[in-house]
Amino acid sequence: MSQPLLKVEDLRVEFDTYGGIVQAVRGVSFDVYAGKTLAIVGESGCGKSVTVQSMMGLIPMPPGRIVSGTALMHDVDIIGRKEIDGRDIRGREIGMIFQDPMTSLNPTMSIGDQIAEPLLVHSGYSKKQAFARAVELLDMTRIPEAEKRARQYPFEFSGGMLQRAMIAMAIACEPKMLIADEPTTALDVTIQAQILDLLNDLRRETGMAIILITHDLGVVARMADEVLVMYAGQVVERGSVDDVFYRSSHPYTLGLRAAMPVNDRSAEHTLTPIDGSPPDLFHPPKGCGYCARCPNAMKICEDSDPEVYAMSETHTSRCWQHHPSATVRVAGLHYREVEA
Amino acid sequence: MAESTTPAPGSPDQFTPLHSEREIHALTRPSLSYWQDAWVRLKSNTRALISLYLVLGLLAFTVIGPMIWTVDPSAQDVDQVSRPPGADRAARVVEPYKPWDGSVAVVDGERLQLADTPTNQAVRLIWPAAPGAESYWIYRNILPVDENSAKGLPLIELFGNGTTHFEDRLDLAPRIYYYTLVALDGTGVPVHRETLAVDVKRVVTVEEAVGRGLADSAEDLLVSDVVHLALHPLGTDYLGRDMLARLMHGARVSLFIGIFAPLLYVLVGVIYGSAAGFVGGQTDQAMMRFADFVVALPFLLFMILFKIAFGIGPGESGVMPMLVAMVVLLWPSTSRLVRGQILQIREEGYISASRLLGARAGYLILRHMIPNTMGVILVTVTFAIPSAIFTEAFLSFIGMGVAPPTPSWGSMCNDGIKTMLTTPHELIFPALLISITVLAFNLLGDGMRDALDARMRSTE
Amino acid sequence: MLRYTLKRLFQGLITVWFIATATFFAMHNVPGDPLANDKAATEEIRANLEAKYGLDKPLVQQYLIYMGNILRGDFGISFTQKNRRVNDIIAEHFPISAILGILAVVFAGLGGVLWGALTALYRNRLPDIIIMFLVILGISVPSFVVAAISQLALVNLNDAVNFSLLPVAGWGTVWHMLVPSLVLGLGTMAYLTRLMRSSMLEIVNSDYIRTAKAKGLPPTRIFANHQMRNAILPVVTVLGPSIAAITTGGFVVELVFAIPGLGRYFVQAVQQLDYTVIMGTTVFYGAFLVFMVIVVDLLYGWIDPRVRLE
Repeated sequence: MSQPLLKVEDLRVEFDTYGGIVQAVRGVSFDVYAGKTLAIVGESGCGKSVTVQSMMGLIPMPPGRIVSGTALMHDVDIIGRKEIDGRDIRGREIGMIFQDPMTSLNPTMSIGDQIAEPLLVHSGYSKKQAFARAVELLDMTRIPEAEKRARQYPFEFSGGMLQRAMIAMAIACEPKMLIADEPTTALDVTIQAQILDLLNDLRRETGMAIILITHDLGVVARMADEVLVMYAGQVVERGSVDDVFYRSSHPYTLGLRAAMPVNDRSAEHTLTPIDGSPPDLFHPPKGCGYCARCPNAMKICEDSDPEVYAMSETHTSRCWQHHPSATVRVAGLHYREVEA
Repeated sequence: MAESTTPAPGSPDQFTPLHSEREIHALTRPSLSYWQDAWVRLKSNTRALISLYLVLGLLAFTVIGPMIWTVDPSAQDVDQVSRPPGADRAARVVEPYKPWDGSVAVVDGERLQLADTPTNQAVRLIWPAAPGAESYWIYRNILPVDENSAKGLPLIELFGNGTTHFEDRLDLAPRIYYYTLVALDGTGVPVHRETLAVDVKRVVTVEEAVGRGLADSAEDLLVSDVVHLALHPLGTDYLGRDMLARLMHGARVSLFIGIFAPLLYVLVGVIYGSAAGFVGGQTDQAMMRFADFVVALPFLLFMILFKIAFGIGPGESGVMPMLVAMVVLLWPSTSRLVRGQILQIREEGYISASRLLGARAGYLILRHMIPNTMGVILVTVTFAIPSAIFTEAFLSFIGMGVAPPTPSWGSMCNDGIKTMLTTPHELIFPALLISITVLAFNLLGDGMRDALDARMRSTE
Repeated sequence: MLRYTLKRLFQGLITVWFIATATFFAMHNVPGDPLANDKAATEEIRANLEAKYGLDKPLVQQYLIYMGNILRGDFGISFTQKNRRVNDIIAEHFPISAILGILAVVFAGLGGVLWGALTALYRNRLPDIIIMFLVILGISVPSFVVAAISQLALVNLNDAVNFSLLPVAGWGTVWHMLVPSLVLGLGTMAYLTRLMRSSMLEIVNSDYIRTAKAKGLPPTRIFANHQMRNAILPVVTVLGPSIAAITTGGFVVELVFAIPGLGRYFVQAVQQLDYTVIMGTTVFYGAFLVFMVIVVDLLYGWIDPRVRLE
C-alpha cells in the first residue's frame, strides 16, 4: 500500500485527577491513508476521543499529559506542533467536527462568520471573500438558501443543519484529513444518514482522509475502509471492515456484534449484552483489560498483557486465544464464516 | 502464526480456562445517598467547613453569649464613656471633694503648674502673675496644641491680675488634657502664653464606690485603696454602654432578621412557585406575571416605605415590620427558581412512572418534587442570609431599621461612625461582626452549592 | 424587537403606577396626621398643603388629585422647607447622584469584566488568588463600612503628606467624585468580578471554544471573539439589579462623604418625615430604576442575538 498520510505510533495519554492518574490511552498505533476512512470504534470511556484530541492538542494540559508516541504527517511529528512548513495543522491540514453541533458553535456569532474564520486566519482571505466562500461552503454541504442562512445564528438552525455548518467550517481550508468525533450521535436517525452520505461524498470529491470516531457499528459498516476496535485504552482488533465484521478475531468484537441488532429476518438473533463494565483505568489490570468480561478467559489473561497476533496482512488481534498453546482457542469463538 | 513482541509464555497450564475459579470483578463502589454525598463533599471543602464552624460560633455568641455575659446592654456606665477595650479601670479611693481656696503647698519655679494631683474630681492649676497682665484666659484641649494657638472657647476668663489659680471640675475624664494659659494686657493683646499637659487620674470617693457596686461596704474601703471599675472587655460606646453585651444583643436582631426572613420568604416562594409550576397553564402564567411585577419593585425604597407606613410605637423594636416587609418583597425570586425546577422535574420519566403507578398530586409533590428541589432551595437560603443581614444593616445604618435603644449591628455602626476618628472601636467591632458573618455565610453558600447542586457546581 | 420594547415599556409604566399608588397609601397609613406634625407648623404652609392635596376631601378624591399631579410631573412642596418645590429639590440634587452613580456603574462594570477576565486567565495563580481574596472582602464588607474606612484612610493620607491630596468629603471637582464613586461601585464590582470569572471558566471548557481551537484560531482571537463576548452576557443581565443596588447604596455613600445628592436628601427627608419629599423622591427613584432595568434588558437584547431575534 502507499505511504500513509498519518502514522500514529505507541500513543500514551494520562490524566491527573483527584482519584489518581488515569491511563486513558495505552499505546495506540494506527495508519490513515489519503482518501480512505478509518473508523475508531469502542464504548464510552475507551479512549477513542482522547486519542485524536491529544493528537490535535485539544486535551487540557494539565491535567492531561502525552506520555509517549508520535504522529507523523509528511514525516513530521505533529504532536505538540502547531504547523508543518508554515501551514497550521489545526484547521488547515486537519479539520475536525464534534459530537454535539448544538453546543459546538459560538451562540453569539453568525454561522457565516464562524465558517469564514479559518479562511481569514489560515488562507489570508479578506473578510468579504471569506464570507462569500462561507456561503459557497454552506451550499456545498447542501444547506438551502445559503446566502440567507449564513447571516443567521446557531439557535436558528436545526441540529442536522448545524452539523452541516460544522462540516463546512472544518473543510473550509481544504484539509487533507477530517476528524469526525461521533458526528451523528446527537442527531435523528434520518439526519444521521444524510450527514454520513455528505461526508462520504465530500471524501470522494476532495480526496481527504477521514477518521471517524463512533460507538455505532452500523455507522462503521456504512462508512469505514479500515476499523480500529478500542477497549480500555488499547487497540484490541484492527483490520479492514470485512476483516473486523466477518472474520472477527477478538472476543470483545464478537461481544459487540452479539449486542448489535441485525437486519436479517432469517437469522435467529437475540441481542446479548456484554456483562460487567470496563476496567478501572486508575489501576489498569496487569493482564488483558477484557479478561473480567471475557467468556473464554484463561489464567494467562489475568496475568500478562496479550501479544498482538496477525491474522492476515491487514488484520491483527490482541488476544491470547491466538497463542499456539491456547486450550480454549477457537472453540469458544463463534466464527460465522471462517470456522469449520 | 504468531507475531510476538515478547517471548512466548512458558507453561501450558497458564492456558487453562478461568471460568470456574473466577468471580466477576465487582466494580461498584459503596453507594451514597444524595445527602451523604453532599455531606462528604462539604466536609472535604475546608473553606466551607471553617465557615460552618464560624456560623455555629456566631449562633453560640448570640444564643449562649448573653447567658454568660449577663451585662444589661442598655445600662450606662457613666464612669466609662467611649472607652476602648483594655482601658485602665483602676480608680483610687479618695476623700470626698473639698473646695479649694487656691492655697498650695509647694510652688516650683515660675511656670503654669499643678497645685495638686490631677483627678477626675478636679484639676487645680496655679501660675505666677504675669507682668502687665490684665486678664487670664484658660483653654482646655484634648489634642496637643502648638504654642501659638489654643483652639475653641476658653474655659474661663479671669479678670484682673489677682487670681492666679484655677480649678477645673468640668466633666473630667481620665485622660490627658492640654491646658493653655493666655495672659492678656489691658487692650486684649496676649502678653504670655503657656501650655501644660495634664494626665488626669481616675478617683472615686467611698460613697461613690459603694453606690456603684464597686465595693460591698464602706467599712472595707480606705482612702488610697484601689478599686476596679466594671469590666467592659470590648469597651463602651458613646453612652457608656457595654459593647460586648450590645454586640450580643445586636446579633440577636441581625441574625434573627438574617435567618428568619430568608427562611420565611423562601418558604413562601417555594409554596407559590411549586403551586404555579404544578398547576401550570393559565394559572401559572397569571401567577408568574404577578411575581414578575413584585420583582420589578425597587426593594430598598419599598422597605423604607413599609417602615414609614407601619410606624413604630413606643417600646417597639421595629424588627417585625422589617421581617414582614422582606417576606412581602423578596419571595418572587425563589418562586421563579422553584417553578422552573418543578416544570423541569414534571417532564422527567420517573414522575410519569410514579403517575402510572397511581401516585396522587400530593404524593408527587412531597415525595419527588420537593426532595429534588431541596438542594437548590437550601443553596438559595444560604445565599439569602448574607443579603438579608446586609439589608438590615443598611436600613439600621440610615436610621430606618430597628428603633433605639434596641441594638443591632447596623445601628451600632451608625452610632460608631460619628466617633470614628476618636474612638474607632465603636465602629470597628460591629462592622467586623457583620463582615465576618456575611463572609461565613457566603463561603458556606459556595460550599453548599458545590455539594448540593451538580449543575451549579462552580469551576474552581 | 419593537414589540418587545413596547411591551417592556408598558410593563414599566404599570410598575411605576403601582409604586406611586403604594407610596400614596403608605403615606396615608402613617400613624397620626402628617399635618399635625410640628414640622408644618405655620398656618400658611398648612393652608397651602390642604389646598394642594385636598386633604379635607375623601381618600379617593385625594388619590386622584395626587395621581393627576404626578402625571403633570408635579411632586408638590416640601413640608420642612418653606415654599421649596420637590421638583426643584430633585432637579438640584439628582444630577449629583446621577454623576456619582454613573461613575460607580462604569467603575463596577469595567472593573468587574477586567478583573474577572484576569482572574480566569491566571486561574489558581497568584493574581487570581489575590483578586479573589479582595473580591470576597468586597462582597462581605458593607458599603458604609468601606466608605467610613476609606474616609479614615484619606484623612490619614492627607495628614501623612501634610497636603490635601484628595478631598475627604464634599462635592464640586472631579477629585471629589473619585473616592466616593469607587467606594460606591466596589461591592458591585466584586460581585461582577466573581460572576465574570465563573462565566469565563465555564466557557473555557465549552464545546465551542474547543471548536475554535480545532479551527486553529490564535489564542488572542479565541479570547476576544469567542470567550469574552459570551462571558459578558451574564454580567449584562445583572447590570439592571446592579444599578438599583448602586443607586440605593448611594444613599449611604452620600451620607458618609457629605455629598449633596438626592440620596442624602432622601435619607434626611425620611428621618425628618418630610412626607411630600419622601413621596416625590420615592416615585422618582422608582420610575428611574424601573426605566434603567428596561434599558439594560434592551441592551442585553442588542448583544445577544437569541433575545434580539426572538
